[in-house]
Amino acid sequence: MIERVALHQTRLQTPGLGLDAKGVALGAKGLVVLPSIDRLVMLLAIYTRERSLEAILPTLTMHVLKTKTGAHEIALELAAESSDRMDRVAEAARLVGGHAFTGTSRHFVQYRDALAPFGYDARDLAATDAAIVLYSDGATRTYDLGKPIDLRSLLLRLGLRAVAPRPPEAGVRFIVAEQGLGPALLRYLVRSRVDGEACVAEWPPESALRDTPVVRWIVRVPELPERMRALFTSTPGMTCFVPSGPGVEVEEGFEHPLELRACPVFPPEGVVFFRGRGETAWIVERLPRMGALSTFARIELRAGGTDGEVARRTGVPEALRVPLRLTPSSTPWRKVTGSWVPPEQFPLLRRLAYALPRATIAQTRVATTERGVFLLSEAGIEAIPLGAFYVEVYPRLYLPAGFEVTPSVAPEVLARSLAVPASGVVFVGVDARACAIEDQAFTALEAALIDAPPWEPMVARTIERALTEAPIDLRVSAVGLLPTRGIGDPDDAEP
Amino acid sequence: MALRADIAERLFSDVMAPLVLGGTMRAGHPIGVAAAAAIGDHSPLDTDLAALVQEGRVRRARMLVPIDALNEPSAAEWMLAAALHDLEQSANPGFHAPLRRRAAARIARSALATVDRVGPPSTLSEAVSRHTWFARVLEITRTDTAISWWAGSREFLGVDPPARVQAWPKLRRVSVTRTPRPLLEVRPLAIDRERLFTAVTALLARTPITDLATCTRAAPPFAWSAPTLALLATPAGRTLATRALARLPSGDVDAALGRACREVITHRRGLPAEVLALLADRAIAEAQGYVAADPAPSPSTEADIARCLGAAAALDALAKSGAAWPDAQRRALHAALEPSARRAFSLLSTVSTWV
Repeated sequence: MIERVALHQTRLQTPGLGLDAKGVALGAKGLVVLPSIDRLVMLLAIYTRERSLEAILPTLTMHVLKTKTGAHEIALELAAESSDRMDRVAEAARLVGGHAFTGTSRHFVQYRDALAPFGYDARDLAATDAAIVLYSDGATRTYDLGKPIDLRSLLLRLGLRAVAPRPPEAGVRFIVAEQGLGPALLRYLVRSRVDGEACVAEWPPESALRDTPVVRWIVRVPELPERMRALFTSTPGMTCFVPSGPGVEVEEGFEHPLELRACPVFPPEGVVFFRGRGETAWIVERLPRMGALSTFARIELRAGGTDGEVARRTGVPEALRVPLRLTPSSTPWRKVTGSWVPPEQFPLLRRLAYALPRATIAQTRVATTERGVFLLSEAGIEAIPLGAFYVEVYPRLYLPAGFEVTPSVAPEVLARSLAVPASGVVFVGVDARACAIEDQAFTALEAALIDAPPWEPMVARTIERALTEAPIDLRVSAVGLLPTRGIGDPDDAEP
Repeated sequence: MALRADIAERLFSDVMAPLVLGGTMRAGHPIGVAAAAAIGDHSPLDTDLAALVQEGRVRRARMLVPIDALNEPSAAEWMLAAALHDLEQSANPGFHAPLRRRAAARIARSALATVDRVGPPSTLSEAVSRHTWFARVLEITRTDTAISWWAGSREFLGVDPPARVQAWPKLRRVSVTRTPRPLLEVRPLAIDRERLFTAVTALLARTPITDLATCTRAAPPFAWSAPTLALLATPAGRTLATRALARLPSGDVDAALGRACREVITHRRGLPAEVLALLADRAIAEAQGYVAADPAPSPSTEADIARCLGAAAALDALAKSGAAWPDAQRRALHAALEPSARRAFSLLSTVSTWV
């Protein structure tokens, strides 16, 4: 029999049972007892729908429990770790008609529920040699361990469920074809320009009467054209599989009862093909090296002729050079970042400088040569509507806007043939004459514009000296013979 | 009229201009009450010097109030300048001789009578104008030169020693010592020094802003006078006074005002409301940071009297005109002033024991 754990209770009777940080009675293990194997599958299906088994898989064991009366039940055991994990497991167990317990070795008490938020503790421990003793509010039950249940085997033995037809999803597909169909399948895919890889796997003979292994072609197609799906799902001898996790493929049109992505029990270097209609899964422990489909294309040999013709003589080809020309072009202007202002337009440029906005002046660089002024502006030179505009067709190579070179060669070829220097820019004129200007010749337009007037030095006066007050120095003069003459009698002064 | 103009021009160039601009000030033949009164509203003829003086006066006035122009000297200012001139002449060491001391006393009486003929300023503008003339009256010094040589020594009071006395300084081992002495400390003095103090006190009372602006002087001690209280009767006058006092060390001002208040309390047992208003303005200005608090306040009781009375009066003013202040500012002022105000009563009880 069990009793509820009270708030702030510290002593517990059940061996190996303790209190976690929340005060919940918790042992080292959690145990879920289920009445049958299908409830176990339901429990796993519910649990794997929301989270992976990867966290509990190292400690997860499943056994058949046997009572003294011969009844069988299923036990799922895992490390409890925290009440949060046990809460999730207990919720799923309640949903499928199971019961959750917690303990450490043999004695397991009922896990907490709504009646006992801090869990339960066994009031009297049962003296028994049974492998597992379960204490619940109804009774104390003892069990012996039966055979274990392997999760991998369970997954492989579970039959697939047919799903309702639904719109095909794009993605990788595996096609497994019988040996005789393989070459024709590959030729069909190659002929249809479908990319993919293929390999051959062998399985043991299905019958003791056969002494040769069963060979099947495995084809991996990254994007299977939709028109071929019906062919591969309906042709006998060919089976189409959809990836359902690392190393797990499920036949198209079926689904596994469990979420296989949440059950990392199959090695990713191999592949398991789950087949529908109750058929045994095909397991390839290690997928062999796959070859591209194009390598399986038909190979043809020339019927006659020699292996090859050898040239008898080689030499320098005859030079074939034509002068460069520039012709008007109707292509739109792009990257107009340079301009050339001839010397006769200098006065106009000077007057225009007063009207240019600050940003344009700051972004423009200028070089003055005997042929005129060359302007460059990365933000576009159209803001200075003067001179001939140039388009940068290649880094450091400028052509007149509205013109193109003939013969029509690529800009990089033109730059290579003109030997455009790395420290300068080349302007090609309308007459196809090119001139190179060193980068050092370009200065900021704002630095070149101002003709600053000469200045004259000014000496500042010290204001302190001007505000300093001179001391008042009283000087004494002679009082004279009659010092009070003319001041009258002060006592007679009218108030 | 010509004599009057001559006296006025001499008075302007020798006394009034140096009083504003600094430099050499000369006291000549005494002017007397009648001659001083006869000057009237004379305008100085030396316009260049007058312009310089006006510039100096405006500079002095702008330390207190933002004005750009001042009137030419009024009749009262001429008379006060004449009184100052006569007072300086009464301190002439030439009178320190037998049969001459009576003349010095007569000149001093004449100077005092001239001052008495001048009434207190009737407007703030007049008070500011007088201050621009006499702000430096206590800075007047007489340079006394003591010369000693190998065979003797001689003292020259307020005059330059002749060159022959200083000749061959190395050979004769000439030692020259120049000592500037304030007007109130000159010696020898033919008249009673108290009479000189009385005359200067009377002169300062006619220019109340100057009286307040020099309240930290050693002599004559500052005391509350009727013209000074009249100046403080108006808020604008108190503002001028607060600005004038703000240019002096805060602790010294508190000590001078506290000393004057103690004199009033011990004799009259009641401080004029104008004084309390001035102290309250200073306390509020100091609490708000407009007046630099003394970093090392003097421990004198007089300074405590001024500070504590000011705090108490400021709290009373806050209580009466509380709505005029924002709540946060009023609370901050209350918190800053309350400790000093609490001490006011204990200090006043201490003062009562002096009586």
